[in-house]
Amino acid sequence: MLTSMLLILPLAGFLTSLAAAWIVPASSKARASGAVQKIIAGIGFAALFVFAFLAKSEIGTGYLGIPLFGLWLNFGLTQLSWYFVAMVAGISLVTVLFSLQGLRDDGRYPFYYIWLFSKTFGMLGVLLSADMLTFFIMWEVMSWCTYFLLQQGHEKAKRAGAGYLVYAVTAGMILLAGLLYVYFNVGSFDFRTIQKAFSGFGAGRIIVAMLLVLVPMLIEAAAYPVHWWLPSAYANAETGISAYLAAISTRIGIYGMTMFLFAGFGLTALNLVTANKYVSANEVLMIIGAFTMVVPTFTALFQHDAKELMTWHSIGQGGYMIVGIASSTTLGIAGGLFHVFNHMTYVSLILFSIAAVEYRTGTTNLNKLGGLIKKQPVAYLGLLFGIIGLAGIPPMNGFVSKWLIYRALILSGHPFIALAAFIATLGTILSVYKLIHNMFLGQLPERYNDIKEVGWGMRLPIIFMMAVVWLTGAFPGTVLAVVADIQQSLGLERVAYSVHGVAAEMGQLNMLVINIVFIGGLFVSWLIYLAGGKRKHIGQYDNYAAGHFLDKSIPYNYNYNFYAGMEHIFERLLHKPPVKRAEQALATFVSGTSEYVCRIFTGNITTYSAYVVAAVVVILLVLGGGR
Amino acid sequence: MSVLSIVVWIIAYPLIIFCIGVLLGGYERKFSARVERRIGPSWIQPFYDVIKLMSKKTNVSHGYMHDVAILMLLGGTMLTLYFVPVPGFSYFSQFGDFLVISYLLLIPSLGMALGVGETANPNGSIGISRALQMLAGYEVPFILTFIGVAMKEQTTSMLDIIRVQQAGGFWAWGLIAHPLLGVAALIALQGMLNEKPFEVIVAPHEIATGPMTEMGGKYLGIMFIQHLIAVPLELTLYINLFLGGASNWLEYLVKLFVLWTALISVNMVFGRFRVDSAVKFMWKISLPLAALGVIGIMLNIA
Repeated sequence: MLTSMLLILPLAGFLTSLAAAWIVPASSKARASGAVQKIIAGIGFAALFVFAFLAKSEIGTGYLGIPLFGLWLNFGLTQLSWYFVAMVAGISLVTVLFSLQGLRDDGRYPFYYIWLFSKTFGMLGVLLSADMLTFFIMWEVMSWCTYFLLQQGHEKAKRAGAGYLVYAVTAGMILLAGLLYVYFNVGSFDFRTIQKAFSGFGAGRIIVAMLLVLVPMLIEAAAYPVHWWLPSAYANAETGISAYLAAISTRIGIYGMTMFLFAGFGLTALNLVTANKYVSANEVLMIIGAFTMVVPTFTALFQHDAKELMTWHSIGQGGYMIVGIASSTTLGIAGGLFHVFNHMTYVSLILFSIAAVEYRTGTTNLNKLGGLIKKQPVAYLGLLFGIIGLAGIPPMNGFVSKWLIYRALILSGHPFIALAAFIATLGTILSVYKLIHNMFLGQLPERYNDIKEVGWGMRLPIIFMMAVVWLTGAFPGTVLAVVADIQQSLGLERVAYSVHGVAAEMGQLNMLVINIVFIGGLFVSWLIYLAGGKRKHIGQYDNYAAGHFLDKSIPYNYNYNFYAGMEHIFERLLHKPPVKRAEQALATFVSGTSEYVCRIFTGNITTYSAYVVAAVVVILLVLGGGR
Repeated sequence: MSVLSIVVWIIAYPLIIFCIGVLLGGYERKFSARVERRIGPSWIQPFYDVIKLMSKKTNVSHGYMHDVAILMLLGGTMLTLYFVPVPGFSYFSQFGDFLVISYLLLIPSLGMALGVGETANPNGSIGISRALQMLAGYEVPFILTFIGVAMKEQTTSMLDIIRVQQAGGFWAWGLIAHPLLGVAALIALQGMLNEKPFEVIVAPHEIATGPMTEMGGKYLGIMFIQHLIAVPLELTLYINLFLGGASNWLEYLVKLFVLWTALISVNMVFGRFRVDSAVKFMWKISLPLAALGVIGIMLNIA
C-alpha cells in the first residue's frame, strides 16, 4: 500500500501542479503562479519523503500490479531499490527546499516543479519495477522526463537537452533489443523466471543479454566513452536541477547495473561469464570504470565554468561506483553502493554553494569570480565541506567509500585499477582546489564589494547537507547497515561494519578516532598559535608586490589558466579529445547518410505508389517463402 | 600497552619527532655549508628560527581562513603522525592503515592551500598551483609502490608490512626484495620532501617564496614547526615501507640520518626543474619503474 503511494504521490503532484499552472499561468502572474507551484511542491515532496521511509516495512512484500493492454505492470520494493528510493526522496526534498528561495519568480522556469515531479515519478517507477517489461517502459518515461527537465531556460539548454535525447533514445532502443532477446529466450519478463532460466544457459547467450542490458545502463551512468552528453546537458540546466540530476539521476544507471548483475540475471549467470581465466566480464567493466574515473577528472581540471567543472566530476565519481560494484568483492560492492550515497550528498552540497554564488553574482565563470569568502562565508564553508568529501579526504564521508574501494582493488589483485582510482583522486584534488580558489579565494573584484550572503532559505539546506557530509563520515555505519542488508538480500557476504567505520576482520578504519585526533591536533595547534603575539587582520591591497603599490585599479590575481604546467603536458589530448572527435565523425556520417535517405521522399505521387507496389511484392515474397 | 604509557606517548611523540626534525634540519644546513666550504649555523638553528618567529610582535593575517589554515596545517600533520608507527608506539595504527595515512597527509596541504589562497597574493597562488601539480607528480608513483607491496603481502596495514620485513631479516627489506619499487619510491620521496630538483613550490627568487610570501611572524613560525615534523614523518613512511622499519630508536635514528643524507646529497648537486618537467620526470622515470616492479610481483603471485 505504502509502495503504491510512492508512485501515486509524484504523479498526483505532477497533475496538480500542471493544473495549477493552467489556472494561474506564469506568463500573466509570475509571482502568484510561482507561489502556488512552491506550495504544491513543498507539500508533495515532503509527503513523498515520509512515505519513502515508511515504505521500508514493505520491502519484499508490497507488490502492485497495474493492467495495461492485457499485460501487467508489476511494481515492488526490494532492499536495493529501497536504498535508492530513499535517496531519491531525500535529495528531491532538499533540492525543492533549496529552490524555494534559490529559484527566482521571474517566470523563466514556469514548469520547474512540474518536470521535477514527473522526473521523480519516472525514477521511482524504474526503481520499483519488478519485471523487465515494466523496467523498460518506466525507463522510457524517465528518459523523456529528463529531457523535459533539461530543455528549460535558454537556447543552449534546449540544444544540450536534444543531445541528451539522442543518447537516451539509443539507450532505450538497445534496452528494447535486450528485452526482446531475453523474452524470446526465456518466454517471460519476470526476473525470477529469467534468473532460473539463465542458470541453465551457455556463456554466449548470457554475454549477448548482458551486453544489451548493461550498455544502456552505462549510457545512463555516463561511463566513458558514452559520457559526452552529460557535461553540456547538466551545466546548462538551472543549478538546482544540475544538483538534482548529478546527485541521483545519473545513478539510476548504477542501480540498473547492480540490479541486472546481481539480482536480475542472477549470480549464477554472472559467475558463468566471469569463470573464464583470461577475459572476465568484471574486468572489462572495471576497465571501463577506470577510464570513467581518470579521463573526466582530468578534463575537469581545465574547465572555466564552475558548473561544467562539477559535471565532469559527476561523471568521474560514477567510475568509482562502477569499479567498486564490478569488482564483485564484498568490500568493493559495499564501497560502490556507499559511494552513491556519499556522492549524492557532497555533489548537491557543492552545486548548492555554486548556486548561492550564482544567485548573487549572476555568473559561474571561474575567471570572473574571486575573494567571495569575505562576502559569502556560508557558501564557502559548504563548498569546502563538499570538496573535502569529493576529493575523498578524511574526515568527510567520501573517504570511507573510497577507502573500501581501494582496499578491495588492492587485495583482489588489481593494482592498476587501484592506481587509476588514486590518479583520479589526485585529479579531483587539483580541480576542486581551482574551483574553491577561483570562486572564494584570491582578490575580490571591486564589482562584488556590495554582495551579501544569500537568505536563510538557501543557507539552511547548505548547512544541513554539510552536517550530513560530516556526520556520515564520522558514523559511516549508519549507511553501511543498509548497504550490508542489500548485500545479504542479493545473496552476497555482508560487509563487516562498525558504527564508526569498518570492523577489524575486514580492515582497520575508525573514523571517530580520526575525528577526535584531528580535533585534538587542531586544539594543540591553537594553543601554539595563541602562544605567539596578537594578530592583526589587514585588507587585500596591503600585500607583497615586490615594492610596487597596490590599489583598486590593479588586478592582482592568479586564476586564469590555473594549472599551466598540466595544460602543457596534456596539450594535445586537450585540444582534440578522441571521444569528441569520434562523436563528431559519427554525427557527420549520420547526417550524410540521412541526406541520401531523404531523397526517397521526392514529393512525387508516382514514386510513392511505386514504393507501395514494391513493398507489397516484398511482403508477398517473404510470406510465400515462409510457406 | 597500559593507559598511562599511551597517554605519555601521545604527549611525548610529537615532541620527540619535533626534536628529531630540528636535528635533521640543522644537519641539512650544516651539510650544505660544508659542501660550500662555509662553517654554517648551529646544529639546532631551526629551533632558534622557530623561537624568533613565534616571538615576533607583528602578526598580520588576511582573514579567518588564513588563521584557521595554519591550524589545519599543524593539526593535520600531528593527526597523520599518530597513525605512523615508530618503535615502541603503534597504538593508533589499529584505527587506520597506510591508505588512511596517505590521505591524512593531504589535510595539511589542503589547509595551507586554502590559507594561502586567502592571502590574495598571486605568488602564493602560483606556489599552490605548483604544489598541487607536484602532488599529482610524486603521489602517483609513490602510491603504486605501496600498492605493489600491499598486494604482495595481502595487507594494507603498515604494522603488518613492517612485521613481514623484520621477520625475514635484511633480505626481506622492501628495498632489497622489490628494488624497482624501492628506487621509484625514493625518487618520489625526493619530490614529496620538496628537495631539488623538484623544489618548484617555494622556488626563491622565482615566485618570491611561493606559499610563504604573505606569511610572517607566528604564521611562518607554525609553518616551520610543521615542516620540522613533516620531514621525519615522510622519511619514516619510507623506512617503514622499504627499509624494514626499526625495532629500536637507535636503529630508527641511524636509518633516518642515512636516508636523509642520501636525499640532501642529491639536493646539493641539482638545479630546479620547471614544474611540468618535474611532473613529467615523475611520470616517465619513477612511474614506469614502479609499474615494472608491480608487474613483477603480479607474475610472482600468479
